[in-house]
Amino acid sequence: MFNLNNRQRPMMGMGGGGGGGGMGGACYVYDENQQANPNLVTPDVTFDRSIDMNIPLTMDDGNTITMWGFADGRGRMMGGGTFPSPPIRVIQGQIVHTTLSVRMMWAHTIHHHGIEPGWESDGVGHISWDVRGGSYTYQWRPMHPGTYFYHCHTNTVLHAEMGMYGALIVDPPEGPGTLLSGGPTYDVEAFWVVDEIDSRWHTLSWNAGTCGEDVGLNILNPDYFIITGVDGTGTSAMNTPPISATVHVGQKLLARYICAGYHPQRIRFGGLTGTVYVSDGRPLPKPVQVTDLRAHSGERYDIIFEPTTPGEYIIEADVTHWISGAVLGTVRTNVTVI
Amino acid sequence: MKRRDFLKAGSAGIAGSLLGGAGLLAWAPRAHAATISKTFYITDGFIDQIDGTSVYFKGFSSNADSLNVPGESMIVQEGDTVQITIVNTLSTSHSFVIDGVVDSGAIGGGQTKTIDFVAGSYGSFMYYDKLNAPYNRLLGLHGGFAVMPQGSSNELYSGSPTFVQQYFWIFHDIDPAWHDRLRRGYTPNTEYTPRFFTLNGLIGRPPGAPGNGDPTLDAMHDLRSALHGHVGDRTLVRILNAGLCAQSVHTHANHMEWLTENGQVRPDVWKKDCLYLDGNMGALDVIFPFEVPPDSWPPVTTGTYPMHMHSEMSQTAAGGYYMFGQLTDIFFE
Repeated sequence: MFNLNNRQRPMMGMGGGGGGGGMGGACYVYDENQQANPNLVTPDVTFDRSIDMNIPLTMDDGNTITMWGFADGRGRMMGGGTFPSPPIRVIQGQIVHTTLSVRMMWAHTIHHHGIEPGWESDGVGHISWDVRGGSYTYQWRPMHPGTYFYHCHTNTVLHAEMGMYGALIVDPPEGPGTLLSGGPTYDVEAFWVVDEIDSRWHTLSWNAGTCGEDVGLNILNPDYFIITGVDGTGTSAMNTPPISATVHVGQKLLARYICAGYHPQRIRFGGLTGTVYVSDGRPLPKPVQVTDLRAHSGERYDIIFEPTTPGEYIIEADVTHWISGAVLGTVRTNVTVI
Repeated sequence: MKRRDFLKAGSAGIAGSLLGGAGLLAWAPRAHAATISKTFYITDGFIDQIDGTSVYFKGFSSNADSLNVPGESMIVQEGDTVQITIVNTLSTSHSFVIDGVVDSGAIGGGQTKTIDFVAGSYGSFMYYDKLNAPYNRLLGLHGGFAVMPQGSSNELYSGSPTFVQQYFWIFHDIDPAWHDRLRRGYTPNTEYTPRFFTLNGLIGRPPGAPGNGDPTLDAMHDLRSALHGHVGDRTLVRILNAGLCAQSVHTHANHMEWLTENGQVRPDVWKKDCLYLDGNMGALDVIFPFEVPPDSWPPVTTGTYPMHMHSEMSQTAAGGYYMFGQLTDIFFE
């Protein structure tokens, strides 16, 4: 019987050594070497984002949960954020700047999930740096239309769960209404961003666990289930565009489905059959027809429905436990066909 | 109880990788089938975790005095005769199984057994101990096994998209309470609650952490895990999940070309940045293409990017320690 020493003491305390960071008691936060992005050129479009660490979200049971998120605007000291964070919508081929401003009291980044820029613009702290007490500009040129999202990549396990994400849509040059150049078009657009919340996590500080303290981030026991920023277990997401949608027979509905939680999901389309043309921002070689889908964290599916029969169709997404597979909760919205 | 330092055990695992393990830069196909022999020693021991806890494991080890979790990966060719000798150094019964290929049956404590089988169809497989399932596998008795198509150096299956190098990513999740119950001969009686999440047996050690950059300690720099390539070095990754958690495998810099799911060739190749990896022996084969990151401006050909699970609980250790979980880095050189 052998004893293998896989144990080391973490670096803690103030800064130094490229590792600990340490301000505010954080460890393994990489703000001390922050530089300006060396490759900036004049952009076609700029998005400014700041931080809001106190966004109240009222659930159907009357409880209010604190969410974190991004606000629209540069240099905003606090407040103004929404959950989900304000969307970023760009045209394929544009040179885009996303400028993040962060106060001294926290560290954050923006990672444009599914967008594949240079490493300085990827927003991953241990490879570049976390942003703290200043601004940083990410530069990217999206080349593939489809559905993405952006989220914080600092202490990601916590910050993304706390709601620090927003939709990121890349349109082809034709603009909204066309999914892919020369490809499918749509008349109505819906956003199904399905997530779960463990309210216990929502009492933690931004740096929780980073120095090795056991704050239970290996256990996500959700007690609320969200679709596109609202409690999805009751009626809040029903008849609430752009979560729900109303389409006429003969029209096309594009649903942009983002699996934004950490547990796997199963989404059912209530009797509608859709066609998946794009997943994770890449066209499928052969589009597939689906009546339901399973997905896991970070996946996106762009599904076009061409309903032929009037009626109300209930879209349901189960959040299933990552080990047991048990259904933990179900969110609902509706598609009304007239 | 003997003690070994992890560096030595880790190095032994890598140095012994004649049959694979490190990124295989050049698989040389053979015109004729060969006999491939390998001896695994079933050993046990404790591995100290980042938070100071000591967790009991068993492994298919390359030497009688080492503990390898996972066991060393093997790559053979279709038609090869594979001769596996299992030396069970423990007092409990164990087995060596590749589903659909070979099952040693129970090998009693202190016994040695040699099994022969012909490597049939191409693909990526897990070898593991199927006794007392899933417990013996969860204790660490698992490893990767690959069969290359006959005469091919650059395909997963005949006609597949091609690659120039290949890796195994074997993921695992660990509940120390279960390991302790099993060590004492009991069946776990608590809800499975993993506290550690490993890639090829290691956790990430971010910059500033002790062990950062040490390929025997740091999953971000483990030569078996971290992808290294120049633009164009298309890389096959054989992904196996020995743990119980369903995971979402997420790459930065490039989408993955998704070739197989749980041993089945996909009808066509989707490009995905997140892939659903089933728990309890899920499997995927993907090609990381090492293309210029498509949304970079100006375009870049070098840089470092992460691969991590997007099921982010797996990025932690002992309930915190973000980045000390299942992740590695991808180096564009």
